[in-house]
Parts: sequence; C-alpha cells; structure tokens
Amino acid sequence: MKFKLSIIAGLLLLFIFSLNLMADKQEKPAKHADVDWSVSCMECHQEVTPDAVKEWKSSKHGLMNFGCYMCHGDGQEEFYPQPGTERCIGCHSDYQIEPTQTTVKNCFDCHKGHTLKFHQKKD
Amino acid sequence: MSLKRREFIKASAAAAAAASIGVTLMPGMEKNLFADSMTWHKSVCRYCGVGCGMMIGKKGNKVVAVKGDNENTINNGHLCVKAFYLHKVVYAKTRLLHPMIKKNGKFVKASWDEALGLVATKFNELRKQYGPDALAFYGSGQAETEETYMANKLWKGCIGTNNVEGNPRLCMASAVGGYLTSFGKDEPAGTYEDIEKSNLFLLVGSNTAEAHPIVFERLVRHKSKNPDVKILIIDPRKTPTDQIADLHLFVKPGWDLAVIHAMARILIKEGYADEDFIKKHVNFRDNKKALTYEEYKQFLETFTPEYAAKISGVSPDEIVKAARMFGQAKTAMSMWTMGLNQRTRGVWANNLVTNLHLITGKIGVPGSDSFSLTGQPNACGGVREGGGLCHLLPGHRVVKKPAHREAVAKVWGVPASNIQPKPGKHTVAMFDALNKGEIKGIYIMCTNPAQSLPNASKYWKGLKEQFVVVAESFFPTATTEYADVVLPAAFWSEKVGVYGCTERRSQYMEKVVDPQGEARWDAFILRDLGIKMGFKKEFKKYKTGEDIWTEYIGLTKGTDMDLSGAPYSRLKKVRGLTWPVPSEDHPGTYKRYTNGDPLFDALPAEKKQGRRMYFYGKPDGKAVVWARPDKGPEEPTDAEYPLALSTGRVLEHWHTLTMTGTVPELNRAVPKAYVEINPDDAQKMGIDNKDQVVVETRRGKLKIEARVIDRPEPGTIFIPWHWKEWMANILTIDAVDPGSKEPEYKVCAARIRKA
Repeated sequence: MKFKLSIIAGLLLLFIFSLNLMADKQEKPAKHADVDWSVSCMECHQEVTPDAVKEWKSSKHGLMNFGCYMCHGDGQEEFYPQPGTERCIGCHSDYQIEPTQTTVKNCFDCHKGHTLKFHQKKD
Repeated sequence: MSLKRREFIKASAAAAAAASIGVTLMPGMEKNLFADSMTWHKSVCRYCGVGCGMMIGKKGNKVVAVKGDNENTINNGHLCVKAFYLHKVVYAKTRLLHPMIKKNGKFVKASWDEALGLVATKFNELRKQYGPDALAFYGSGQAETEETYMANKLWKGCIGTNNVEGNPRLCMASAVGGYLTSFGKDEPAGTYEDIEKSNLFLLVGSNTAEAHPIVFERLVRHKSKNPDVKILIIDPRKTPTDQIADLHLFVKPGWDLAVIHAMARILIKEGYADEDFIKKHVNFRDNKKALTYEEYKQFLETFTPEYAAKISGVSPDEIVKAARMFGQAKTAMSMWTMGLNQRTRGVWANNLVTNLHLITGKIGVPGSDSFSLTGQPNACGGVREGGGLCHLLPGHRVVKKPAHREAVAKVWGVPASNIQPKPGKHTVAMFDALNKGEIKGIYIMCTNPAQSLPNASKYWKGLKEQFVVVAESFFPTATTEYADVVLPAAFWSEKVGVYGCTERRSQYMEKVVDPQGEARWDAFILRDLGIKMGFKKEFKKYKTGEDIWTEYIGLTKGTDMDLSGAPYSRLKKVRGLTWPVPSEDHPGTYKRYTNGDPLFDALPAEKKQGRRMYFYGKPDGKAVVWARPDKGPEEPTDAEYPLALSTGRVLEHWHTLTMTGTVPELNRAVPKAYVEINPDDAQKMGIDNKDQVVVETRRGKLKIEARVIDRPEPGTIFIPWHWKEWMANILTIDAVDPGSKEPEYKVCAARIRKA
C-alpha cells in the first residue's frame, strides 16, 4: 500500500512539475542576472555598460532622468532586456501611426539605441 | 480581485494607455487589451504641488493604469516617473485595511464603531479634564480641501482649540509670509502660463528637475525652442537642473541674502530699475520703519559684489553677471522652493527675491512673476486657502479678526465664541507641547511627523507618552509606531475631492474605485468622529463631498481667493480653475493685481489711475520692497562641525516613502540613502566612494554610504531624506523662522568620519 501511494505521489509530482515546465515554456519571463540589488541600475551599468549609459544621458530620456526601469522594468519583478513598443506607449500614447502607410513594426525600428533619436539623426 | 495578477502587470506595465483609447497604433503590437471594458477618469497627481492632470484607467473595480491628461494645461499629457507608477501604490501591500487599537503594545483589529468610539471618549475626557487646548490636529498638504475643512471645523469650531496645524508649515509657511509681507495677500500673482512667455528664469533653492519635473520639462521645451531664454540658478548644490543652466551661483548654504541684495544694488545702479513702476507701485521698509527710495539705496550700499562674494563664497563677477542677466531680460520669472523656505530667514529670503521683480517692474505682465513652487499637491488649496494652520480660518481669514471668526462660525453653525482669537501652537511648538504633556491628545492625518519633523527623535517622547490617533492609508509608518489608534484612510482614486496647486488652480478628482478593505474617506471619518464626540447637529448634514465643497466655496465668496464660481458641477467638466473665479461664467484669473483680475477691475477708477497694478492687500495698494538684514543660518559651521549639511529629494522618491517605497521600479532606481560629499573633502578625510561613514550633528548621528561626487561644493554635504532606515531628520535642526515658524531643514552644521 505504502509503495502504491509513493508511486502515485511520485507521478503526481512529476505531473505538476511537467505542468510547471509547460507554463515556463509558454511564458518564460526574461531574468536579469542575480546581482547586488541594493545597488541602483544606473550605478552598476555605469561600470558594466558605460556606453549605453553615456548614450542615454545624451538623450531626452536622460535629460528628464527617465531611468533604465522605465523601459526595462525593475529587473526583479519585471525585466525587459529588449523592450517592445508596449513599453513606450504608456507615456507616448498620443503618438499615432497609420499602419497602412508604414512597414515598421516597432518604435525601435526608427528610434535606435539608447539615444532613441529618430533614424539616429543628430537632432 | 477580478483581474489575474499577470493581466494586471501586463496592463500596468504601460500597454493599457494606448490600447484603451481604442486606436490602432502599429501592426504587431498588443492590441486593445482592455478597450472593450476599460474606462478613463479625470484626476490629479497625488505627489508634488505642480498639479499635473492625470487620467485613471479602471477595469471592474480596479485601477489598472494611469496616463497624463492631454487636456490639462499644466502637463499637457506628460507625467514624471513617480506619477507613472501611481496606480501601483493603490494596491501596495502596506495599505492599512482595518481600524486597529493598540492593546498591550500590539495593534489589534477593531471595528470602526469601537475605534471611533474610543477616540471620541478619550478626546472628550481630555477636553473636559484639561481644556480644549489639550487636544491638537496635525494634517497635511496632501489631504483634500474637504478633508482639511472638516478637521478645521471640528477642532477650531467645535472642540474650541486653534491647535490645528499641517505639514505645509514645514514647507510653505515662509512663502506665505513672503507674499503677505511683500504683496499683502498670499500666493503668486501669475500662473504657469507665464513660463512660455518668459525670457529668464531665476531658480533659487530649487532643484526643479527632481522636485518639480513637469515644470522642468516645460522649461526645457521652452528653452530648446527659444535658445535665447536664460536659466540662472542660485543654489549651493549642482543638480540635474544644471543641465539647462546658463549661470549657477554656488552660494554657501544659508548665505544667499547678501547676493540677492547685491543684485538689487547693481540693477538700480546700472539703470535696470523701472523708476516709473517703483514710483507708482512700491513702498520701502526695513524691519522697523518705512524708508524712502533713497534710504533703501543707501541700505544697499553695503552690498557691493565684493561684500556679497565674501559672505556667500560666490565670485563678485558672477554676481554682477547674474544681476545684468536679470536686468537685461525683457521678462523674468523667479521660482523657488524649499531652499528658500526651509530657513530661519525664509520669509526674508522670499521678500528679497520678490524685491528684484518690484524694482525692475518685472511683475504683473505676461512672462514676469515671483512664483513660489509648492511641495505638496494641496498645500495651497487645503491648508493655505482652507485655513488649516493655527492662525488661519477658511478663505484666507485669520482667527485674530472678530469679523473673520463671526463669518466662519455662522457658516459652521457654531457660536463665534467657540473660535479662540489667539492662534494655537505652530507645528514645532505643538510637538514640543506633546513632549511637555501640555497637549495630551493628537489626531494626525495623512502625514508622518515621526520621520518628517526636524530633529525628529526629540519629538518621539511626546508621541510615545500622549494619546495619538493616526489616520493613514499605509501601515506601518514611523508615526504609526507611536499610535494608540490607527484609522484606515481611503487613498487617491478611492475618494472624491479637490486639490489646489501652485498656480491657484483648483481641480476636481473623481472617486474611481471603492476604498481598499474597510478604509474610509478622511472627511467622513472626521464627520463621524465629530458626531460621536457630541457635535451631531454640526456634522450630520454632510452627506457628500459636494456638501462640504459647496459650503467651503460659499465662505470664499467676496474674498481675494473667491472660488464661488467653481462648484463641483463646473469643476467636473474643466481642467481646474484659477481663482479668483467669482461667478460660474468667469473663466478664472491669469494675473492678480492687474487688468483681468476681478478684484482689480472692480476698484474705483481713482485708485487705478496711472497704475497698471494695485496690490489690494496693502492699504495704499503698493507692494513693499524690504531692506532685510543679511543674516546667515542658525547654526553656522565651526571648527567642531565644519560641514554644512543640507537635505532634499531625489526624482524617484517622495517624502517618507510611504508611496514611492512600494513601487519596485522606483526602489530599483534609488534603493537607499547616501551622503554626497565633494571629492576634495573626501580626499582630505580619506573617504572613498561607497565607504560607510558616520554623519554627525549636535542632535544625532547617522551611519550611511558615502557618494563622492561633485554635486555639493567643498564644505557642504547632502542627504536625500526619504528613508526611515537612514533618517536624515535625526540630524536636522528644529530652529524656526521667527515669522513663518518654518524650520531650517536646509542648513545645519555637521561633521563626517569613516565608520
């Protein structure tokens, strides 16, 4: 009896685990490397990705101090290594583009890198 | 919760904004996530005093998103980073959901009836045994006008004590004193509309980029479109605002009065004064007597650029340059905030900035104004206008005037004799009286004084020993630790009400969702407390927010801040109205004391003759240019404490973190406090970046991480004050301005060593 129960319990666990894997496969949220979370994004990235920070600082986002977290999430609860258009429109909801007149798929197709300047134009 | 967590996160992550307005933005993107069932509701931001219009996205009975209100003239659809996440705060894990009573040192859940019954019984006992002045109310510039109005009536009109204060005493009181003594009436003459018409901005003691980001954004846009626009900063510290500065005078903390006098001297000497405006619109005074213009000029002779440079640490050439910039600009707008107000000579500092406008005539015309920026969303509306300080009554009235007491008592339905003619205790005196046991019961609403008072730890004794009631939306806070009863208050979006912002604009906020848990609207908590205390006749009539607002605006009729043309029915349709707005067909007032101001327009022709402004708060309609002494801070640096400590804000956090501390993104941006120290000082003291150091003043010491950075000048250090764990206010000084009673948070003497 005990043996049977163990098998059932084992199968049940396997089933739950496989469900979990399926869920992971379906959603698979990006995960930021586990770092010292008492350090701010900016403080760390000034050291690890200084060029990105420099680009950001030269941008309008940098001028207004819209930090990393606005597009990339806080890194722990939410993390978007390659943010999509839906990260932009919370602020830029008044920007409307007629899809039939353009072939672009994403804000970042035109607003490149961390400067986000249109087609990288100087200004 | 009808929404699944993942769905909520997805929505709040930002997609909802565009999706819900029903537009197809781009192929391939998330489409109309909630378009079928989401609704948007007009509101106002909960944070600083700028007053940004905000739309709240609601699905079911849940706030799921926010976006800037495109129709709002203040922010034109833009939000700062704090506001962007405000919807998340509504569902913070730290929301206080039930009344609680402290029993044997532990909070125990209680019913509303039990909690309010206890408070009413205790307050009545204390009142009977020790008199009405044994009780006090301490409110907030974040409370709605309706909420402060109810507290004012209960304490001043029914209990019979003027011990009614609010945290605007800690941030705005010096601006009030400045306007009253310079113009005769409180609050600015102009509005934000002046920004896009101005050629020069004088930012004094204001880190606009971080403390008032949407105002900063308007400055950035204006300057980028008009490169000739100049930004002149007077501040001890380099901040993100410097990104747009043309000239920055780095004054030693607390020593800027001489610089502003020196600028006035240069303006007059070099012919930038508007002699005709001065002749018709200005009187001169020192602290004792009226002066002639010549005597004022004589007074200014002390303030040569060299003298001011010696006092302030700024070079004489830069002072001259700054004065000429101000003088040469066709229009000029000065803006200031805590750097001027939180000083023992805050009123004087306010006067001196306004002096520059009065002597050059850069006031009362589009693009020119002396414009105080407010720190909290309803410090102006609820507390300054609503009379939520110990010497005030609603509608810019004062307790000392019999006619004012009678007018208010009549509307409140109480005998005029209930309202005492003598002001109650100002904030610092109030908490001192708690320490001494002179005040034995206090009701604290929507604020966190155990952390936000200067020299905070000194005042924990009184909070511990006396009967303390805290009405709050969040738990725990530094103050609830000392509470005997905590009452859960409805938060932004869960209640109706009006906020009045920096530019005299009153804006209506809709109730969008039901409060969390058992939380109730503060105005009705106070109403029900009043009824339980025995003031049934006085309070039972208030059934809705509109009942309270309608009564309040009736009290403003005929005053300089007439809001009688701004009932709920109208405010619901518009993006606020700037008073005076004396009738429902009046558009609101852009400029006070001049054409278009209904009070100016109604003046007899002989008073206005030959004048473009009439300061109707003064007997002869003339504003005052003040010859104030150039006194420094209360606690200057010395050999023992050689560094000047200043405190302030960062962009991503607000006050004591009860709200922003619940948002992961904002915590990630600035996870902890630090002390900024100039590299030269750090090198001398052997301190490296990220070292743990101890900052010490005569009041306390704080272990904290060092940030070696060129923002503070040598000889000064800076700590952002938001964190309970690194409580900067155990270091700050509780000396107050003798006029405004506002404490000198911005300057005290400190020393620093490696931990």
